[in-house]
Amino acid sequence: MSDTQAIQAEAGPAPLHGLLAEYDNPTALVRAAKKVRDAGYAHWDTFTPFPIHGIERAMGIRMTRLPWLVFVAALIGLANGVLLQFLTNAWDYKWLVSGKPFWSWPANVPIAFEMTILYSAFAALGGMLIFNNLPLPAHPLDLKERFARVTDDRFFLLIEARDGKFDEVDTRRLLESTEPLLLDEVLEDRVTSDKIPRALIYTLIVAGAASLVPFAAFTAARARHSEKPRIHAIWDMDFQPKFKAQRANPLFDDNRAMRKPVAGTVATGALRDDDHMYRGRVGDAWATTYPAGVQVTEETLRVGRDKYNVFCAPCHGFAGEGDGMVHKRAETLGQGWVPPSNLHQEYLRLQPVGELFNSITNGVRNMPAYGPQIEPDDRWAIVMYVRALQRSRASGLGDLSEAERSGLK
Amino acid sequence: MAIASDINPYQGALKGDNAFAQITDNVSRIMEAPKPPRAWYIAMGFSLMLLAMFGASLGFVVWEGIGAWGHIHPVAWGFPIVNFVFWVGIGHAGTLISAILFLLRQNWRTAINRFAEAMTIFAVICAAIFPGVHIGRPWLPYWMTPIPNQMGMWPQFRSPLEWDIFAVGTYATVSILFWYMGMIPDFATFRDRSKTTVRRLVYGLLAMGWRGSSRQWHRYERAYLLLAALATPLVLSVHSVVSFDFATSQLPGWHTTIFPPYFVAGAIFGGFAMVVVLAVPSRQFFGLKRIITMRHLELMSKIILATGMLVGYAYGMEMFIAWYSGAIYEQFAFVNRAFGNYGWAYWTMIFCNVLAPQVFWSKKMRTNVWVIFFVGVLVNVGMWFERFVIICTSLARDFLPANWGYFVPSVVDYATLAGSFGLFFTLFLLFCRYIPMVAMAEMKAFIPEGHAHDH
Amino acid sequence: MAQPKHKKDMVADSGHAGDYVDDSIRLGDEANGLFRIAAGIGVVGIVLAVVLGGGLTHQQFQHSYLTAFMWGLSIGAGALWWVTLQHLVGARWSVAVRRVGELLAHSLVLMALLSLPVVVPMLLGNDSLYRWVSHEYMASEHVLEGKAGYLNVSFFAVRCVIYFGFWALMARYFLKASVAQDKSGDTSLTARMGRASPLTMIGFALTLTFCAVDFLMSLDAIWFSTIFGVYYFSGCVLAVHSAMVLALIWLQRKGHLVRSVTVEHYHDLGKMMFAFTAFWTYIAFSQFMLIWYANIPEETHWYHMRLEGAWWPATLALAILHFPVPFFGLMSRQIKRNKTTLALGAVYLLVIHWYDMYWLVAPNLHKEPVFHAADFAAWVGVGGLIVAFVVWKARSVNLLPTKDPRLQRSLAFENV
Repeated sequence: MSDTQAIQAEAGPAPLHGLLAEYDNPTALVRAAKKVRDAGYAHWDTFTPFPIHGIERAMGIRMTRLPWLVFVAALIGLANGVLLQFLTNAWDYKWLVSGKPFWSWPANVPIAFEMTILYSAFAALGGMLIFNNLPLPAHPLDLKERFARVTDDRFFLLIEARDGKFDEVDTRRLLESTEPLLLDEVLEDRVTSDKIPRALIYTLIVAGAASLVPFAAFTAARARHSEKPRIHAIWDMDFQPKFKAQRANPLFDDNRAMRKPVAGTVATGALRDDDHMYRGRVGDAWATTYPAGVQVTEETLRVGRDKYNVFCAPCHGFAGEGDGMVHKRAETLGQGWVPPSNLHQEYLRLQPVGELFNSITNGVRNMPAYGPQIEPDDRWAIVMYVRALQRSRASGLGDLSEAERSGLK
Repeated sequence: MAIASDINPYQGALKGDNAFAQITDNVSRIMEAPKPPRAWYIAMGFSLMLLAMFGASLGFVVWEGIGAWGHIHPVAWGFPIVNFVFWVGIGHAGTLISAILFLLRQNWRTAINRFAEAMTIFAVICAAIFPGVHIGRPWLPYWMTPIPNQMGMWPQFRSPLEWDIFAVGTYATVSILFWYMGMIPDFATFRDRSKTTVRRLVYGLLAMGWRGSSRQWHRYERAYLLLAALATPLVLSVHSVVSFDFATSQLPGWHTTIFPPYFVAGAIFGGFAMVVVLAVPSRQFFGLKRIITMRHLELMSKIILATGMLVGYAYGMEMFIAWYSGAIYEQFAFVNRAFGNYGWAYWTMIFCNVLAPQVFWSKKMRTNVWVIFFVGVLVNVGMWFERFVIICTSLARDFLPANWGYFVPSVVDYATLAGSFGLFFTLFLLFCRYIPMVAMAEMKAFIPEGHAHDH
Repeated sequence: MAQPKHKKDMVADSGHAGDYVDDSIRLGDEANGLFRIAAGIGVVGIVLAVVLGGGLTHQQFQHSYLTAFMWGLSIGAGALWWVTLQHLVGARWSVAVRRVGELLAHSLVLMALLSLPVVVPMLLGNDSLYRWVSHEYMASEHVLEGKAGYLNVSFFAVRCVIYFGFWALMARYFLKASVAQDKSGDTSLTARMGRASPLTMIGFALTLTFCAVDFLMSLDAIWFSTIFGVYYFSGCVLAVHSAMVLALIWLQRKGHLVRSVTVEHYHDLGKMMFAFTAFWTYIAFSQFMLIWYANIPEETHWYHMRLEGAWWPATLALAILHFPVPFFGLMSRQIKRNKTTLALGAVYLLVIHWYDMYWLVAPNLHKEPVFHAADFAAWVGVGGLIVAFVVWKARSVNLLPTKDPRLQRSLAFENV
């Protein structure tokens, strides 16, 4: 800050900001501070390269409220830490871990504690800056070249002109009585512009606009439809160097990725020579009885129910009325849909079990084949369960015993 | 090469006619000298080489997958987690020196607290990288943060690994706040001494318009005290949480209730050793012998000795309780630790952590910089091995012999470990050159001239 | 805690702060009164405890007495640790109050004697307290057989001799050397005590740990926890600082050390009480959380006893009364600097520390928390005997280490 005086002169006379006294040791400063305090000034301050102990008392500075701010922040942090874990793990997304209760507080202590500390630490630093009115880019004292030594080895005392008790003569006399190294007038800052530099404004505008570009791109991408596959920045394991079923593989003469079994061989357990069991046929006709390997028991029926509920119920409905979830959804969408059969229709009730088995194995009309997904004995179990379902709807008085019938009357 | 460049710009007479100015000058001339000493360039070159190796090996791991490391089936934690715990531990001494010694009114800390704090932050940066890469898909670490996402899932807050995210994250943040806050007055000093506009602008922005008003000092000191009081339980909690990663499990050798305080003691132990390792050359090359004196080194040696004993106590208790428990798996884990496949690692640890510091019983050894430096290095080695022993020995031999294995690190493992030192030293060297390495304002307050004799 | 403060460096030349010269540093007649009352209460308390507890070897008396004994031991052991620590780090602030700590540590001599009601019946084969004394019990569980090398009566007795011998020796050493310095003014004694402190500290850490394992942890012979020694230690530190605060306040009310011990010393003692409330919680939580989390049967049964049924509210009460209440209660600087409130805090911590001991011991006997009259009688008895013993010793020595080279700094010490 050289030639301040000259610049000051060009800018016109500036009003007095205050009187500045300089000392070279803390003892002199503390003595001076006591005098100024006793003289009853309010708008004054001392400036030192390091905190001087005892100066709070000498200046009559009251204890800051900062600890309270930090305490409140700590409580907020604690509440936040507890709530975060409660709401996410015990309420919104219940997650069972090693048999512990959803809300198991001992496991939540560490994070609640860390959050408490984190919030308090921000409050301590932030509160200090806010209470201290920092950052403060410019100050009239900056125009004093000597004042730069305040961060090195000099001690200053400033009484501001706006103080009610300030009087150019009396205040000067008071400060002189403290035997400063130097006593100087500080003028208001008319040199430093309080306008934000143009370049900074432009930079901020450009940076601000640029920061919106990604968001604009996201928005645009969400609004548009694209046929192209999504950008695969990171492949993870989405593309693997392997050959999938039914794909070409130039390694072999026949270009198939899948290999056929050696001619004339059957894989262990893959021999399907029992027509009744595997195709539902006895001779040329559909089988009307269950094959020898399938026992008509409650256990088989239970298996049949489970399998039916997994594989069939989505379309045919749990009761077999052709009103499964997939069907309902298709109806709502209204995009054209051949409804699944109601299994209680007359012709289905009369169909031989072998034909039902065949429909499950190979599919019928729009229904796909379930043979590859369901084991043969499970398919027979499903047939048995379907029969039971059908029977449940087609029962009449004749099914009851004499005693039961009389009980109904 | 010209002889002039060999002259260390940091040695020689100090400017200034009073004690305050001399402190300012002693610390500021490091930043103001046109060139750092030759040792700095050599160290920087070496560090950058290691850093390049770090970048290359991490890049390779990210590209190739963590199979590039030597992990095998039972030892899935290997080097990365050993390094993570090692570096987090190093970080602890910084906070200890700044916060706990501050609360205990140990004024000698002012000579070393700033760069111990810097060390904390750099060590935490090194530490955070390892689990970040070890998760396997380092582009997805945000999955560990509670951000509402399209999967409708939240992190699993009952997992100690999730606690780590919060503990280490909080620790890094608070350490940076604490470090920065301590530097505000010193940045102001640099600002006021800067000759070039760029420096004045940068240091001016960092100083935020600090002018040393006593009213501001009052709040500043209160805030500093509060931060210290917050950092103290924080530093305890962070390494405790790291220890929970192991101790909440049922693995013999990991599940031990003494782990939290034992890890904290070990961290302080290793951290102080690292401070010593950094302080000895720093004071030599940057002319700080008047600030970091022999007395400081001696006190740190004593702390290393004391914390070494605490760590030794924990080793002993673990052994005793493993026997006392009567549980065969516990007993086997500890016998295996000392006499199994990895016995050499265990005895390296015992030698470096328990035996080596014993030389500090002698005052002669405590005041010999070479001995201090050498023991500091040994303790760092020992503390690294401590984590290796805990992780690898325990994992390699758990309940079922069918589940046993032997972990052999790969070349990439060694390269990442060595490389992490490159990152640490590079950051540290940059810090030495551009940031006030000693807390000038605090130091001035503690010299006799800094007291007002008028109460 | 507090800012570093440098006034102490300059006090030597200004010398304005409290001089001990015109301070009362010897106990007068009031000590005789206190000695008689405390000794009376102590003897009556113990006798009552025996009567109410159903006899010397009865389970109830044994458990009540062990609770009280471990409570009293934590004051003396804590004091020995505290005195050793002051020598180890060369502390200056504490010199003015160190004699009180030395006297409290000296109570370990009494504690050696008071351990007999626990140890002697055991030597005679009484297993009302420690089930492992019985051979049948040790043979009943496979894991216990392996422990017999440690958990047997004769080795237990040997260990007791080591613990109490070592403590009594060191407590007497520090008191005697310090008192000798009062007379001779020999500053080399300070250096000698400083040199003795590191090994004392190591010995203390080991003896206290194993003492806690023997007297408290082995109540449940199967259970084990590596942190247990630290847990008991944290209680010791709380107890000794509380006891020192109360002792100092009593002394000052009787007109002693009025100028030597200032609010600054109380503030520091208060800060230690505050810090170690948090430390106790840290240790207690670590132990509990790790055992709760890993859920291994041989560990959890110890907590299971304390977390199920009627013990659950008692455990919850311990957690609340031992952490949030004293933590927030002692947080404020004003509270620590006010003798009345600090004394309240000290009494509170001593009571809650007894409850902590009760929580460790009583579930071994009762399936639900029962406060037996013998519990209180034994507690009052042990407390009374300790006070009487300390006062008896204190009558013959100065209450201030008058010739300690660091005394001046301690007198002028100031928190910010």
